[in-house]
Amino acid sequence: MSSLAAIFYRESKIRATNTTFLFFDLFYPLLYLLVFGIGVNAALGVRALSPGMDYNSFFLAGVLGMASLGIATTSSWSFFLDRDNGIFFEMLTYPMRRSEYLLGKVLFNICIGIVQAVITVAAGCLLLKIHLHWSALPVLAAGVIGGTAGWFFFYATFALKIRRNDLFNSVVNVSYFVLLFASSMFYPLAPLPKWFRAAALVNPITWQVDVLRYGSIGLGAPRVLVLEGIAFVLFALASFAWAVRSLREQG
Amino acid sequence: MSNFALEVENLVKVYERRGRKARAAQAGVRAGVRAVDGISFSVPRGEIFGLLGPNGAGKTTLLKVLTTLLRPTSGAARIEGFDVVAKPLEIRRRISMVLQETAAELLLNVRDNLLTFARFHGLDSREARRRASIVMDKFQIHKHAEQKVQDLSGGSRRRVQVAKVFMVDTPVIFLDEFSTGMDPILKRAAMGYLREEAAKGRTIVLTTQILSEAEELCDDILIMNRGKQVARGDLNALKLLSAGVYEISLTFAELPPTISQDIAELEPLRWRVDGNTIEVSLKVEEARVLDIVHELSKKGHVLRVEVSGASLEDIFVELTKEPDGQNIAKEA
Repeated sequence: MSSLAAIFYRESKIRATNTTFLFFDLFYPLLYLLVFGIGVNAALGVRALSPGMDYNSFFLAGVLGMASLGIATTSSWSFFLDRDNGIFFEMLTYPMRRSEYLLGKVLFNICIGIVQAVITVAAGCLLLKIHLHWSALPVLAAGVIGGTAGWFFFYATFALKIRRNDLFNSVVNVSYFVLLFASSMFYPLAPLPKWFRAAALVNPITWQVDVLRYGSIGLGAPRVLVLEGIAFVLFALASFAWAVRSLREQG
Repeated sequence: MSNFALEVENLVKVYERRGRKARAAQAGVRAGVRAVDGISFSVPRGEIFGLLGPNGAGKTTLLKVLTTLLRPTSGAARIEGFDVVAKPLEIRRRISMVLQETAAELLLNVRDNLLTFARFHGLDSREARRRASIVMDKFQIHKHAEQKVQDLSGGSRRRVQVAKVFMVDTPVIFLDEFSTGMDPILKRAAMGYLREEAAKGRTIVLTTQILSEAEELCDDILIMNRGKQVARGDLNALKLLSAGVYEISLTFAELPPTISQDIAELEPLRWRVDGNTIEVSLKVEEARVLDIVHELSKKGHVLRVEVSGASLEDIFVELTKEPDGQNIAKEA
């Protein structure tokens, strides 16, 4: 437990050295919602998806999912910074398990993710008149926590396996394109072509965003969501195991 | 409980090749690199143990195995009785390490670097602050306490890195070329601190290529080359391995013009000219030494003569030279 606290302490100290960094950490998803959501809603004239539900309400879950990816890639990229600073290998000789190293980072990411989500959801309700499905808030919290952890483990593996910063950036850019657009993040899947819908259904970001959407505005079939939730947990656990293994191979 | 802080038995580390190279190796074209090749030694508690060897000798790889950064291919290593493969966490609780490359939290200030390190090793905040203050005084980094490490010079960053191991009481300290980038005054002070820590019972394992450092600091030395042990023992024992090696130093009023040729004819182990002074290391019979001094002194007006037995540097050169591409392991 003390090693998790030590990692948390370290991450928070580093993050606190730059307030701009902190600002974007916390307000980035809200800015996305305000700029992109309102833009699409107004400029493209998206019709109401169901009674009382506009595009901003629909997009809220997408923004929270995107925020999980953002935290994950930023945090994974820090492995490169630690390598460049030489501290990475020194840290591997500190009294902690490899898994604790990753879990400590995740703990910090989850805290950032929760604060981000609270700010975004609160602003969405107050400024954009999004109607929250209050009884499903625990599902929303689980989606934020599980998503932040799962995506960090996923990208951490690449950051640990790939030794080149520029190559990692390329992986992130390509994966972003696939994960974000072949998913239910920006649009409902029902009207999409069959092949597109099939691709989106096997995309873990769809699983997470669907859970977040149910948790935020109550949209979705609970039975499907349970399956998607289980699938995402398995994805997160597999990514965790892979990331720990990748960390053990360092040296 | 064993009296030894470190016990290494026939340790081997082979870096396997991956992908196409691995397939070639499997086909017998070329095997992996044996960075550590059957090393065995033990280090009693409270000793300063030096690992010496030229670049690529395997020192850093050996240290990485001992600090749980790498798994050995075969053999065994125990630190404070715990096996490096079976109990890596127990080992990490008992060691602190200074890596060869500068390692610091560049975005944090000096104080936070020390405090963060202390927190990982389980010190409470109050004790960590107390120790940080003492250590910053010791390493003369107090004035930089609130400065980010990224704004410090390379030498100061190194101070921060080395200072960290003095924040905690781990029974074993590993130092990989710790004095790199330190000025001579701080280096001397750091060596003094290390002796103090050893006197308190902490075991220190260091690698270095600065032989005078090892000569001054180490109770016991292991010389490695190409992953193998070449020699082992304290300084006196090692010097016996190089019996018959002498260092001759002559200072002339004016350097004789033919001196290079004259020295080359003696087939020295090594030699160098510094101003009007020549320093020659020779492996000769004792009776020949004074004859050689006499011959050389006839070449010019000599102001100073000094003859001494082999230094660690002579021993090192002698033991790690590879005239026929082979090294012969020697036991001190």
